[in-house]
Amino acid sequence: MTPPVLETKGLSKSFVSGTERVDVFSGLDISLAPGQSLSLVGRSGSGKSTLLNIVCGLESADCGTVSILGQRFDTGDAESPRARERRWASLRRQRIGVVFQDANLMPALSLADNVRLRARLAGRSTTDSQDWLQRLGIGELANRYPDQVSGGQRQRAAMAMVFAMQPDLILADEPTGSLDRHTADEVADTLFALQADAGVTLVLATHDTELAGRCESILDMAHRNDPGPGG
Amino acid sequence: MNAAAALFSHYRRHPLQLVALALMILISTMLWSGMNHLTDQARSSLGRAEQSLSEGSQVIREDGAPVTVADFARLRRAGLCVMPWLEVPDPDGVGRLIGIDPLAAACFASGAMSGEQPALDGEPFIDMARAARLAGSPGDEAPPLVLLAADSVSADGLPTGYALASFARGPDTGELGASFLLNLDALGVLVLLITALLLRAVYQLSIVQRRDSFALLHRFGVPGKRINGLLMIEVLVLAGVCVLPGVWAGAQLARALGEGFGRSLEGLFDVTLYADGSQWWRSILVMMIVVLIACLPVRTLPHWLKRSRGVGWLGLGLLAIGMVWVAWSPGLVWTFVAVGLVFVGAGVLVPRLMAGIMATLSSRVDDPLGRWRYRELGVMARQLALPVVALQFTLALVLAVQTLVTTFEATFEQWLDQRLAAHWYVQVPEGRSGDRAADWLAQKLEPGTAAWHRIRRGTVMVDSGAGPSHRVDLLAVSPIGPLMEKWTLQSSLAHPWKLLADNQGVLINEQLALRYGVGVGDSLVLTLNGRVQSRTVLGVYADYGRPSGEVLVNGADLPADFQPEFESFSISPGGRGEAWLVSGFERIWQVPEIEIRENSDIRAMATRVFRQTFVLTRAMTFLTLTLAGTALLIMGWVFITSRAWYLQLLVTWGLSRREAFGELVRVSLGLTTTVSLLALPLGVWLTWVLVHRINPQAFGWSLPMAVYPGFWLELLALSTVIGLGIAALMGRQLRPGRMVALPANQSGGGER
Repeated sequence: MTPPVLETKGLSKSFVSGTERVDVFSGLDISLAPGQSLSLVGRSGSGKSTLLNIVCGLESADCGTVSILGQRFDTGDAESPRARERRWASLRRQRIGVVFQDANLMPALSLADNVRLRARLAGRSTTDSQDWLQRLGIGELANRYPDQVSGGQRQRAAMAMVFAMQPDLILADEPTGSLDRHTADEVADTLFALQADAGVTLVLATHDTELAGRCESILDMAHRNDPGPGG
Repeated sequence: MNAAAALFSHYRRHPLQLVALALMILISTMLWSGMNHLTDQARSSLGRAEQSLSEGSQVIREDGAPVTVADFARLRRAGLCVMPWLEVPDPDGVGRLIGIDPLAAACFASGAMSGEQPALDGEPFIDMARAARLAGSPGDEAPPLVLLAADSVSADGLPTGYALASFARGPDTGELGASFLLNLDALGVLVLLITALLLRAVYQLSIVQRRDSFALLHRFGVPGKRINGLLMIEVLVLAGVCVLPGVWAGAQLARALGEGFGRSLEGLFDVTLYADGSQWWRSILVMMIVVLIACLPVRTLPHWLKRSRGVGWLGLGLLAIGMVWVAWSPGLVWTFVAVGLVFVGAGVLVPRLMAGIMATLSSRVDDPLGRWRYRELGVMARQLALPVVALQFTLALVLAVQTLVTTFEATFEQWLDQRLAAHWYVQVPEGRSGDRAADWLAQKLEPGTAAWHRIRRGTVMVDSGAGPSHRVDLLAVSPIGPLMEKWTLQSSLAHPWKLLADNQGVLINEQLALRYGVGVGDSLVLTLNGRVQSRTVLGVYADYGRPSGEVLVNGADLPADFQPEFESFSISPGGRGEAWLVSGFERIWQVPEIEIRENSDIRAMATRVFRQTFVLTRAMTFLTLTLAGTALLIMGWVFITSRAWYLQLLVTWGLSRREAFGELVRVSLGLTTTVSLLALPLGVWLTWVLVHRINPQAFGWSLPMAVYPGFWLELLALSTVIGLGIAALMGRQLRPGRMVALPANQSGGGER
């Protein structure tokens, strides 16, 4: 049996607001096989972005285990923070692609240089940035800077960056949240087409139920159910 | 919540920015008002020195000899209203006392010195008898007696052999004193300019950060005028709260630096610093205006100026004009104007130059991370243009002042070594002559193993042929021997010492050469004790720390009846010891005790006093540097906070936080190091201007130009510290769990 790309067990996270302790989520179990897609839905503050940050190591859980691409991170481990940080950094660098709602690009670099930078960090030194931008339909904008293109074009460039690094897992946090309906659909079409083509696992946080429905399974963070079939 | 509360809530979220702004106003006010306080005191003191008796006149002897008590008696017997005036050093402290004869002054009743004597208020007058006793104190140079003449005394009414001359206390410092004050004013204006730049930078940042709030308030119906009015009130309140303690702190600073500054004034101009109260209200007013101007929004620039290339050309043009102008400027004011043009030009060019350099470097780098780094530096250079320029100016100023001071110290020490080449120094006691002592030394000391010379000082009338005669100091030395031949001359004929020994001419100091336009080979007409002689200028020697012109003659060339105002011997007795010298002199002069001093002690004391000269300048530049460094630190911090998202993006892309911090350090250091490197040529140029243009124009003497690469390294180290400080402050943003939200106005891509 193929091991899961992402598996969480008993994952909990809370924060302190004034004197009150607020649970974001607790006892969260997820398991995603290679090539699967999962959407996280729920109202603002339900913990979608927090979960994405935890499963890429940008934040830490209060307790529980995250197993990702064969590496296990347990909050109970005696591993030093520095060693843990190194393992997470290595995963993010080479195997996990992250797309945010906005500002996925370095403003001081052209779109092509952004793609090259991301690919180079992932160790894909021979990546043709022009080719990836072309595949995302913005090849003619390669030498423009982020502030010289539209929001939809910036998100396409962000996806070009992620796919150029050839990841095993993509974490997308509201990737179409700032776009109009038409552009959002175009960007989503591209995302799912490339994901299917590359066989990459995808975790997508969104408010958009239509977009969420395009994933194989949906996890409602506000009224948590087990991930069920999408559609 | 009303509009004001909404507007000012910014500082609740950014309290450090408010603290930085308040501190900046306070420190700026302290620096400028402290500087202004001292300048006011200096101006007042120099003014008193020149004005107290500026309309007075004195009776002098036509033969050039100093007047004596006998001359006073003869003039009084002739029915003329004259009064003796004797200035002596204050034995209890810094400064001078003035001996006058109240009885003799009675006839001045209707003259300038009469009645309430308004010009003399605050002067430390003492009775002539006490002044005469102090003048006779061992170890002090005997001061010359002056005979002041009342308005009723006319040149025609004087007995034969006497003439009227204007009376000015001490040497003629008029132009030099004004230049010195101009120097202080220029330093004060520079401090004000730098601090205004920094203030503007910090305040503008808070405005930029609040732009979205302003737009929101405007959409909610608050008129733009009301928002501007509220901002104006904010600035006024902030200035009001910070300027007052700043002025108080400035007074404390002036008090702390006062002693060193007073010594400078005495050393340079023989003028005592009077502790006058400064016009504190003026400091408050000026600082309020400066704060308002610095914080007010800039009106729209002309279109051609907005274009980067147009501004670049303007900067280049100003820079070029300023540099050419400095080289040819006829006076100190024009020199400062030209320096100002160069600074403005450099200020306009540097941020653009830095951005251009970074763009070029980024295009040449293949590594995309390296390209990002250079691009970020280019953005920083533009965004932080004001503090970058302020830091560059300050670094250049520090480099120039540091170089000037070190050059001065090195030159002065070498100069002292030459002047104090002998081991012992002996002053001829009051009422004794050096003739017999000179004969004794010539007889007893063998020229091969020992060396000595006799120094006699007085004054001499000099006519350079280009204007009226001037009374200048006279330095007569004999014999001309090895103790003098090591003197470094600024210019000379071949074998000047041999020519001097053969009475073929005289040497003059730099001050005399500069002031009267006299050079090597020119002829001077000297009038001494009625004897008129024409002498060729054999050479020009450096004579630091005083404004007086001086002529050095061979002592053998003095008239037989010359009465020195001061006489001493410099002796390196070879194998003979101190006891031999002391007993010999005591026997010759028939005095119970003589004072013999080691020149090394005198040298140490002179060095100590001279170092005080630059205490103020050093302190001001250091404080300004601290201010500029702090401002860049704060600005860098605020700027990088707005870019923190992009550093976190690097972390998201797989750089460890340590690696991302490394990138932050590289960018911070890149900025501050580039600023320092660009400050170096400006600093070296400024050193040249100080040494070759401002110093001779302001003080009458110049220094050799020197560069000290060690200082460059020090400045680079300092900029490294500032860069590391920015990175250390920013490092907090990269800690785990501190994801900083992207500023709303940057979602479209941010500044590039």
